[in-house]
Amino acid sequence: MRIGIVSPYSFDVPGGVQNHIVDLAEALIGLGHEVSVLAPADEDADLPPYVVPAGRAVRFPYNGSVARISFGPVSSARVRRWLSRGEFDVLHVHEPFVLSLSILAVLSSRGPVVATFHTAMTRSRALAAAQGMLQVVMEKITARIAVSEPARKVQVEHLGGGAVEIPNGVAVAKFAHAEPLPGWPGKGGTLGFLGRFTESRKGFPILRTAFVTLARQRPELRLLVAGPGDRDDLYELFPADVRDRVEFLGLVSETDKARMLRSVDIYVAPNTGGESFGMILTEAMSAGTTVAASDLDAFRRVLDGGRAGAIFPNGDAPALTALLAELLDDPARRRELAAAASVAVKAFDWPSVASRVLEVYAAAIEATDGRVMDEEWSEPRPGT
Amino acid sequence: MRVVLGVVVVIALLSAYLWWTAHRVQRVHTRAASAGRALDQHLLRRAAAAAVVAERTETVELYAAARLALDAVPGEREAAENDLTRQLASVPLTATDEATRTLVATSRRVVLARQVHTDTVRDALRARRRPVVRVFGLARSYPRPEYFDIVEPVLTDLNVVVAPRAPAAAVEAA
Repeated sequence: MRIGIVSPYSFDVPGGVQNHIVDLAEALIGLGHEVSVLAPADEDADLPPYVVPAGRAVRFPYNGSVARISFGPVSSARVRRWLSRGEFDVLHVHEPFVLSLSILAVLSSRGPVVATFHTAMTRSRALAAAQGMLQVVMEKITARIAVSEPARKVQVEHLGGGAVEIPNGVAVAKFAHAEPLPGWPGKGGTLGFLGRFTESRKGFPILRTAFVTLARQRPELRLLVAGPGDRDDLYELFPADVRDRVEFLGLVSETDKARMLRSVDIYVAPNTGGESFGMILTEAMSAGTTVAASDLDAFRRVLDGGRAGAIFPNGDAPALTALLAELLDDPARRRELAAAASVAVKAFDWPSVASRVLEVYAAAIEATDGRVMDEEWSEPRPGT
Repeated sequence: MRVVLGVVVVIALLSAYLWWTAHRVQRVHTRAASAGRALDQHLLRRAAAAAVVAERTETVELYAAARLALDAVPGEREAAENDLTRQLASVPLTATDEATRTLVATSRRVVLARQVHTDTVRDALRARRRPVVRVFGLARSYPRPEYFDIVEPVLTDLNVVVAPRAPAAAVEAA
């Protein structure tokens, strides 16, 4: 299939939407499709070969932050040229209600359009002033994808259209082959935690209680913590005798996150609520690390009901302590869980996610010309 | 002279607007019709796939529901498809054989086709309600699109995305 993807934001600033587009485009190319990505960028910018620059991005204050976008008659002409040269079977725009290339592409398109909504914002302020324009854009979008439940809710409740929920994929390979940090995980056992340790729904105090108990029984057990927060605040939570066995990395980059997850024996997710998917679990699973998580519905689903990771009752520190002791003493059990996890996590890998997106493309194409497409490419091809 | 020129400009703008609106009305109706045909096709595929699985597993109720869905006349179609969805929900579809995988894949496509159809029908009905469309009869030549009123045809356990089982099985087998 020939697929045209439009990024509203420039690739020189890293961001969730940009990462999503790059990963999706590469997964689609991996599945044998022709992909062209139109993004705001200078002609001479260093870009992946499948990205077409649409001209310089300008700074544009938006939604409390500054986005870099392209908009205006010059961009509009470039969008139309890209569309007519590309002869795409389907056009896939991201965040179509942001004043950007996406909206220009939707308005210039003639064929099927798929739109992905990333944020749970209701609508752009600029467009709220032009309700009729919003309807013109809505009408041109054939099928909608939301990357999360909140984003889907906005679609259904505020914009009156349905949307399929397809979460972000996980770059499994990136995590599976990351180099552990020097000196880790070590022989005495290592627990890991990633997230804001001060935020109560992340459940860090439960892990802290379990770690303090276990650390006093196991002289070499260590805890690796990454995430936003103040070093001193973290160490204050631990009694002096175990403090030197807690290592704090602070806020980590994507690369260091992968290395951090590869540096621990057990990744602990003691979250007490508020998780709709459990992205971090899929990342730990990709890294080949054993996962111990609270029994939230989202975590249960990701961990295949407990087959791909150990589950303990939400908020129960003694239960977590017992579970961790058992896992630390039983490397074979850890390996078994990690092996099951590496199979289960394939469902969240980008090729699987891209196949779901391809099904939405097919639905959009069918609704435009009425021909029903063959199933052949709706599943990953053999050998990919 | 000025008045004449003004009238000409107004008429030109008005006809451009009407032409553009008529084009929009045509597009949403064409799309609703195409989406309806696609949904019909996917429902037939699902019923056929369900019949194959029913034969394999010798599930009489599922086979009956699949046959009824395949043979249903317009008007009884919705009830028959709902029956099939209910039967599918009560049958454990954990096997990873080709027939079951096809059934799961076609069911997912039914979910998508239904959603796109509902959205396009909503757009078309919204367009028909607009005063300018009603006054000038811009939608007169198109049949009024109708919602296909069936329950959400999602299979339990084989959710569109977040169920690890089905996609994992598909990847392994491929």
